[in-house]
Amino acid sequence: RYVRQLQRLQLLFSPTAADARGARQFVEEAAQDFARQHPDVVLYVSPRSGPGPAPVLRAEYLNGTVRDELIASKTSEEIVQLATKLANQSGLDIIRIRKPFHTDYPSVQGQWHPLTNKPSILTVQGPRLQPQ
Amino acid sequence: RTALSTAPPPEKKRWLRAYLELQRLQAPPQRRSEQPNWDYHAEIQAFSHRVQENFSLDLLKTAFVNPCYIESEEARRRQLGLDKDAVALQLQDNTALAERGLRFARAYLAQCFEGAYPELPAKGVEALVSFLTSQELVSYVAQNLSIQDLTLCRDFPAPPDVLQRTFLAVIGALLESSGPERAGIFVRDFFIPQLIGKDLFEIWKVVNPMGLLLEELTKRNISAPEPRITRQLGVNTVLPVYFVGLYCDKKILAEGPGETLLAAEEEAARVALRKLYGYTENRRPWDYSKPKEGLAAEKAISSN
Repeated sequence: RYVRQLQRLQLLFSPTAADARGARQFVEEAAQDFARQHPDVVLYVSPRSGPGPAPVLRAEYLNGTVRDELIASKTSEEIVQLATKLANQSGLDIIRIRKPFHTDYPSVQGQWHPLTNKPSILTVQGPRLQPQ
Repeated sequence: RTALSTAPPPEKKRWLRAYLELQRLQAPPQRRSEQPNWDYHAEIQAFSHRVQENFSLDLLKTAFVNPCYIESEEARRRQLGLDKDAVALQLQDNTALAERGLRFARAYLAQCFEGAYPELPAKGVEALVSFLTSQELVSYVAQNLSIQDLTLCRDFPAPPDVLQRTFLAVIGALLESSGPERAGIFVRDFFIPQLIGKDLFEIWKVVNPMGLLLEELTKRNISAPEPRITRQLGVNTVLPVYFVGLYCDKKILAEGPGETLLAAEEEAARVALRKLYGYTENRRPWDYSKPKEGLAAEKAISSN
């Protein structure tokens, strides 16, 4: 069955800074709907007062990866889109995928090896029968 | 003189910031429950939604409580000097649920394998079931379902036997809350995909495949196999390859490669056993469709 790989989202922002305006609007308007649509993701909203670092959306996945995304000067809709993108990702590292295909059963009829289509040494080649 | 300045506080010095960053990086890893932003109840609800199962939350909370946690908590309270009543925690631990979960999982998996591979003998089924309920596999599955964050246990990071016990207790809790059918589907969905890509004799260590093959053939009234060399390559070199075929009544049973003649014969016996038990690489993949009604009664009997 499908298990969503996103465990929890932490929204760390400042209640007074100017670049956290989108984050504050997200918390007021869209955070509850997002939480209702994704019941298996725990959403933590933690405002930190005072001049602190930039507002960040921290995503923790089931395999332990923690991803921080800056949400400074983003609108509420953009933050919703970003959150859904994180919710649909798995926690694997974002690196170049070598090949876009994978199979657990690489061969159905048996892998070829140099002796596949060669006759075995037990087959006896008798004298050619003359047609009667 | 006592005027308060409303200017922002001066930032930490550059050298101090470097030192604090080093302290942060060298700090020992802590449990997720001790880091900021943690709500146990919300996490447990999210867990039950994540696996798409309806749990009764008290059973689930008891499933995560381990006996080592209860002992360590009682020791800590006794050390802090509380009286006897406050020392005894009102928490049940998960050993009973874990035992029920283990029994149910073993019975269900044995039933699955007997249905899917009817030719496989009891020892093979036993080997597969014990592989699937072994510590490494169960703790690996539990780690990837974030059970190591939710368990309450004494050491951090949680040792694999604790994770295994907790996961089996979760299965036991599911059995109590939703009944054997849902629990069976849960076990099937999380344990059987771990067999993908695995060969039968990687899991089931067989010492004498030829002897086992002879027993199987006598059960089916087929005469003893006669090994013959089918193909050979590089006989006089460092890396020879011999293909030995096993013939019963002049008909081919199986063929296997090997470096020496003995190794090739053993491999041919293993290939023959795989064919007889129906566990080849090109068998039909596992059937994950809805279970039929008739199995429900059997499962209920086997779990009790």
